[in-house]
Amino acid sequence: MSLAELLLELLVMPLVAFVIGLGMVLMMRRIGARLQRRVGPPFFQPLYDIVKLYGKRTQTSHGLVHDIGIVMAVGGYVAAETLLPMPGMNGIAEKGGLITLVYLMMVPSLGMALGVGQCANPNGSIGIGRALTAMLAYDVPFVIVVFGVAFHFGSTNLVSIIELQQAAGIAGWGAVQMPLLAIAGLFALHGMLGKQPFEIYIAPAEIATGPMVEMSGKFMGGLFVMQSFQLYTASALYVTLFLGGGENWLFFIVKCFAVLAIPVSLAFLFPRYRTEDLVRVFWKWPVMIGLIGLAFVMR
Amino acid sequence: MNLNPLDLLFLIAALNLLAMLIVGSWRGAGILATVLYGAQLLALSRISAPTTASFGFSGFGFTLGWQFDALAWLFAVITVASALVASWYGSGEWLRRFAGNRRLLLSALAANVLAMLMLLGSGDLLTLFVGWEATSWAGFLLMALAGGVAREAALKYLVYAIAGAMALLAALVLLFKAGGSFDFSAAAASLDGMGDAPMWGLILLFLVAFGAKLALLPLHLWQAPAYSETPAPGAVFLGAIVGRMGLFALAVVLVKLIGIADLEALAIPFSFLSAQDLIAWIAALTIILPTYTALKQNDARYLLAWHGIGQGGYMLLGLVLGSALGTAGGLLHMINYAATQATLLMAVFAVQHRIGHTDLNRLGGLVARMPLSFLALLMGIISLAGLPPMSGFVSKWMVYTALLQDGRPLLFLASVIGTLGTILSVYKLIHNMFLGQLRVEHERIDEAPLSMLIPMLACATLAFITGAAPGLVLGWVAAAQGALGLPVLAYTLGGVDSPQASLDMLWVVGVLFAGFGVGAILFYGFGGKTQRINQLDNYAGGHFLTTEMRYHYSDNLYAGLMHLIGGWYRGSFHWLESAISSGVSLVATAAGGWYRAVSPGFYLLAGATLLLAWVLL
Repeated sequence: MSLAELLLELLVMPLVAFVIGLGMVLMMRRIGARLQRRVGPPFFQPLYDIVKLYGKRTQTSHGLVHDIGIVMAVGGYVAAETLLPMPGMNGIAEKGGLITLVYLMMVPSLGMALGVGQCANPNGSIGIGRALTAMLAYDVPFVIVVFGVAFHFGSTNLVSIIELQQAAGIAGWGAVQMPLLAIAGLFALHGMLGKQPFEIYIAPAEIATGPMVEMSGKFMGGLFVMQSFQLYTASALYVTLFLGGGENWLFFIVKCFAVLAIPVSLAFLFPRYRTEDLVRVFWKWPVMIGLIGLAFVMR
Repeated sequence: MNLNPLDLLFLIAALNLLAMLIVGSWRGAGILATVLYGAQLLALSRISAPTTASFGFSGFGFTLGWQFDALAWLFAVITVASALVASWYGSGEWLRRFAGNRRLLLSALAANVLAMLMLLGSGDLLTLFVGWEATSWAGFLLMALAGGVAREAALKYLVYAIAGAMALLAALVLLFKAGGSFDFSAAAASLDGMGDAPMWGLILLFLVAFGAKLALLPLHLWQAPAYSETPAPGAVFLGAIVGRMGLFALAVVLVKLIGIADLEALAIPFSFLSAQDLIAWIAALTIILPTYTALKQNDARYLLAWHGIGQGGYMLLGLVLGSALGTAGGLLHMINYAATQATLLMAVFAVQHRIGHTDLNRLGGLVARMPLSFLALLMGIISLAGLPPMSGFVSKWMVYTALLQDGRPLLFLASVIGTLGTILSVYKLIHNMFLGQLRVEHERIDEAPLSMLIPMLACATLAFITGAAPGLVLGWVAAAQGALGLPVLAYTLGGVDSPQASLDMLWVVGVLFAGFGVGAILFYGFGGKTQRINQLDNYAGGHFLTTEMRYHYSDNLYAGLMHLIGGWYRGSFHWLESAISSGVSLVATAAGGWYRAVSPGFYLLAGATLLLAWVLL
């Protein structure tokens, strides 16, 4: 592949990810609406929201670090998308691999944490304390899953993980080969998205006392963009590890939306966990399932 | 007389010590020392092949000689570079304001460098012992000179060091008996026919001897207070490299002398584990427990010192894996961590220099007053947490990948749990110090002086450059692997290129910064104009905020987590340590009483009873 083609891919991949991510935000809201017997928002609502937030007249900043936090939160995901293969586009997936992607996905969280911390509001700091604790909770089962998958396929190269699954057909998919790890992975994915019952750290229902307390205008807009990326990244990574990646665009998008629909649907059925209960639940169930699954993989 | 570069290196190091002893209390002594460390670095850069010093000592039929191979050279470069940075940091305004004894501080630093070079260059086991002792005592001097808490901690270290020295002596006697010589090659040859039991004895003795310096569990309790309470340049030097002498010595004895294959073959009786697993698990526990102890600290210096202990675990873990990738990761982490920790400590001590303390509950908002120190600390914490684009990520990536390729899921999990704990803890560090509300009493402080900022930012830049292009230093690591007799890593400028796992940091860093560029364009290029507002113009549930109101949430930042794991902090190791020390003091009291014949009747009775019991049973 020529350098020009590669650079074009690097440009297109985040853009596509963003568009799919917007669609996922819409799906999430529509599912919520259906379960609560509402009509739900119109098709372009996610886009309208971003335009509205960016266009607000009052944009209050608490200083440079507040701004940079948002830049890092969005920029980190823009970079992460180029490490996650899409149908026909591998970007720099082979130059980074699974472990690099997992750690790159922490950069946006760090950016957001810096931005919120700079706001000098204790509610924000408490929220970040909770968010990082939640990360400690769901990343433990997540890395068990990462290890299991990488060990099973003998590589951390996402491109070869996808190739191996597609060559073997559905029977070779990660989810069929490693069902327990797939369950643990779904659990971890749910926590990573911060949806109910694990949404205490975002506290969307009581915005005045969560990490978003000082985020308004395009700060909020930036985090909205980040959320779109996050939804896409988490579900596309799951599809890559367990569902054979994307044979073509149609399958890829259907799989990504289907994966996301599971935690989003479950989210509306549960009340909320306290932070320590969240940690307990993640360190118990998905870790246990994951370790048993890992034992099967390594036998 | 013809001096080779190694002779020159030792000569300058000795001259430096002499100069500091003579003119150490002079104002410009710090600058002189910095120049002399630069000269040592220059001498080191001229050593290109294994070199033997042309001087030596002999007596009683033994000779002490020094030589540098690629491994010693690597550690020596980091040692002298750390000394250079630390000395530069403390050479200007810091030294002028230093209230303690300048001569003592500067000579202690020079003595440490000389002793460490002697240790690194040891050509045989006897010289290794001499170098080890010199390093221990020089280290004690540097730790103790602040007095107070520092002296107590240093005395504790001394107890560990003396116990370690006894263990080392015993190990050397064992080897001398087997091989009849203190030569590395003779010792290595004598190990081939050694049985399992003496081999185990040897390994455990070496672990005790050198593990105390590296602060391996459970020999780690002394390090955090001893390193934190030292004056700034001393603490930077101690934190960056001194503990790693333990890693060097363990690399020499465990990898070069005994060999990873022998460790792997040596089974723990009645178990399915080997000596290699045992050491790997000690390293893994050294990663986890001190990292979570760091999370609980409320003083920035202590927090970093505890992380220093934890990071040593990654180095040993990588090294003991034995594969090309793992050992390269362990050695590379030593280099990366030195730059990282030096950066972090310099930023923290800059705050101490300006404000007078590093209490994480009495700071906040300093980014507005000390933006460059903030930048250095930010780069440092990203590297310490092991996130891209900083160098800490590369070495940890190598260790993780090596664990994955070796099929060790639990060790992998342990090392990632350590990293996650580090992320939590370093966020607390930067949040409590630099983010949030600026206190009214800190509104007039200035940025750190240039003499402190330059080495700080230089170190941070170094940690970034070696992260973006790890190939720049991987050549040194590969040469050190060769010197240890390990498989040598095939590397590229951007990292590693292999079918199982590749990493090209040039691309990853490039893409990350391009992403930040896109983020910046989206943020600054679109939407309404942002307005800077006062820090007190903040949501407060209907209340008005005033400057007197503390509106920075810092204490117990991870309250939810502590509800769950708070009960696990039982201080078991402190309990163990105090139990051992009171046991020892009981024995010492008894021995002292016996020696001074305080109550001879009692000892006579006890002795007679024991004798009778022995005869009858």
